[in-house]
Amino acid sequence: MLGKGEAPGHQTPAHLHKDDGDDDAPSGVVKLISAEGFEFVVDKKAAMVSNTLRNMLTSPGGFSETREGEVRFPEISTPILEKICQYFYWSLHYSSGKETSEFQIEPEITLELMMAANYLDT
Amino acid sequence: MGGVCSRKRSQLVHEDDSFQTSSRFSKTSSLKWLLLTLPRSNSDVSRKGQGKGPGRCPSLMELCVAKACEDINKYSSFSVLPRDLSQQIFNELVASNRLTETLLETFRDCALQDIDLGEYPGVNDAWMEVVASQRHSLLSVDISCSEVTDNGLYLLRDCPNMQSLACNYCDLISEHGLGILSGLSSLTSLSFKRSDGVTAEAMEAFANLVNLVNLDLERCLKVHGGLVHLKGLRNLESLNMRYCNNIADSDIKYLSDLTNLKELQLSCCRITDLGVSYLRGLSKLTQLNLEGCPLTAACLETISGLATFINSVLRYKWWQFSHLSKHLIASGETIKTQPCVSFPFVGLASLVVLNLSRCGIYGEGCESFQGLKKLKVLNLGFNNITDYCLAHLKELINLESLNLDSCKVGDEGLIHLKGLMLLKSLELSDTEVGSSGLQHLSGLRNLESINLSFTLVTDIGMKKISALNSLKSVNLDNRQITDVGLATLTSLTGLTHLDLFGARITDYGTSCFRFFKNLESLEVCGGLITDAGVKNIKDLKALKQLNLSQNVNLTDKTLELISGLTALVSLNVSNTRVSNAGLRHLKDLQNLRSLSLDSCRVTTSEVKKLQATVLPNLISVRPE
Repeated sequence: MLGKGEAPGHQTPAHLHKDDGDDDAPSGVVKLISAEGFEFVVDKKAAMVSNTLRNMLTSPGGFSETREGEVRFPEISTPILEKICQYFYWSLHYSSGKETSEFQIEPEITLELMMAANYLDT
Repeated sequence: MGGVCSRKRSQLVHEDDSFQTSSRFSKTSSLKWLLLTLPRSNSDVSRKGQGKGPGRCPSLMELCVAKACEDINKYSSFSVLPRDLSQQIFNELVASNRLTETLLETFRDCALQDIDLGEYPGVNDAWMEVVASQRHSLLSVDISCSEVTDNGLYLLRDCPNMQSLACNYCDLISEHGLGILSGLSSLTSLSFKRSDGVTAEAMEAFANLVNLVNLDLERCLKVHGGLVHLKGLRNLESLNMRYCNNIADSDIKYLSDLTNLKELQLSCCRITDLGVSYLRGLSKLTQLNLEGCPLTAACLETISGLATFINSVLRYKWWQFSHLSKHLIASGETIKTQPCVSFPFVGLASLVVLNLSRCGIYGEGCESFQGLKKLKVLNLGFNNITDYCLAHLKELINLESLNLDSCKVGDEGLIHLKGLMLLKSLELSDTEVGSSGLQHLSGLRNLESINLSFTLVTDIGMKKISALNSLKSVNLDNRQITDVGLATLTSLTGLTHLDLFGARITDYGTSCFRFFKNLESLEVCGGLITDAGVKNIKDLKALKQLNLSQNVNLTDKTLELISGLTALVSLNVSNTRVSNAGLRHLKDLQNLRSLSLDSCRVTTSEVKKLQATVLPNLISVRPE
């Protein structure tokens, strides 16, 4: 995780790459920008846990987001976007069987996070 | 409360199978019932997703919904949320049994669309205020088994867009309450099972429901005379009036114009051939259930006429058309038509499912079956059907399921079933069929289920059965079947259900069970099995249902042997020497929902203790 944002995931992306021998996996990173302008740089593979982002990043027509490698979320605040990035990595690890602990959600952000999850279809 | 409601349901289920006694010597009741009566608390998202190793990863949405439910007391209102999200929280609270009257208040004015509180404990008029506060958004409501009264139902007048309403088993709703329905003209689906409120007068409210597609009035005993109010409901496709046993021929007359009907359930109504004759114009009917109606085979003329009637209309039109074109050609005009050698519409019979069981039908008139070419499911059980009648079934080549339970058919008759190549299920229980008749079935390659209980079939017939390698379910509950017959069946490795309830299987024969690795249900209750035989059962890990009752020599050792069959949902070891000391071996059977230990050396208190401490999923225990 690079850029101005703090690394949100449990593990660094570099670590992820190491044990990832899958050639079909999308390479590279994508920048997710919160309402306040905070930037989170995450692996494309992680971002694509969200169906909305997957569609943006893979659609052949080419969203401007695809070309520039960044997506702005004027409706999603920084702490929520950070939580979402954490979820992306948690989900990848869970699916590969490496994650067994529960994903923690703080009660005060539950509803806002839910709305964001709904938007991101994740 | 929850217990009360689910008991209500289970009693009804038993009424349905009233011919099946629930005494301790009876056979295991339906596994489906056990699986359907899961307590709601089992559908907890957090448990579904997390903690069970690498299953499907829960979505962030699911995690948030689960979290919101967990902290539900922290919220005072969800009206800030988009309605599809509050809907998800609501559904999860209901599914996990956590919704209370107080919590429901959080959902006031949330514009929810669906409120499914069917069988939910404690639902009463106070709940209905919040339900009705969803006003124009509300599309579907289920308050089945609730204590809602006419007053509560009346609140729904604020919800004119409602499309689906279920008020089954709501004993406190009277005929006065039903008036509100006339304002709910958007309703497409309405269900009022077992309601005394549905009287002939109250049904007048139904006349307004012109958009109704599905109407369920099962077990409403006061509908006689009220069907006149249904005659304008031309969109009706499905009508259930099972067990409305005061419905008479005069009522059926009003159904004759409901030509969009596809499914009609009239079992146990007082309908005779005359009543059936009013159905002749229902050409779209695909399912007709007349079980237990006092009919004769003469009604078959009408029923097959449902097919031939439409055929004759089309024939007539075709005749008109071909004459017209000849006429046109003769007058010098050209007309482009497809050359047609034969009449193209033959066999437009619409019925796919027909249930005539327990109607007391005799053979005469059975010729009319020939017209029902599209039939896939035919139930003729408990009639006086003979071999002669079976001859008229042989052209029903689309049949997939045929029930001849307790009919007067024998070996000779089975020859007519030879060509029914699509047959998957054949019920011959309590017939005069013997081993020699089975040879006619040897070509039925698709047969998956056969019931030969209480027939004259012996071990010799098993050779024919063993060739039917699509078989998954075989019932051989019959004293003539022994170890020898069972040994012939070992090639049927796909078997999932094997019923040898009364067959004379000994420990020696149990060694055959090793070939049936996929068995999900097994009944061996002939009395000859000992603990040594159970050794051959202990590795059948797929077993969900096991009945070893009546084998009086079985001891606690048996429970120890089967302690690894963790998929078991139902276990019956009644009338054996199982004792209190053996119960501890059951602790790993966490899926167990039904346990029968009648006439064993166990005490009720020990069984209750087992249920309370280690087997929380047990919902049916004997002795009680």
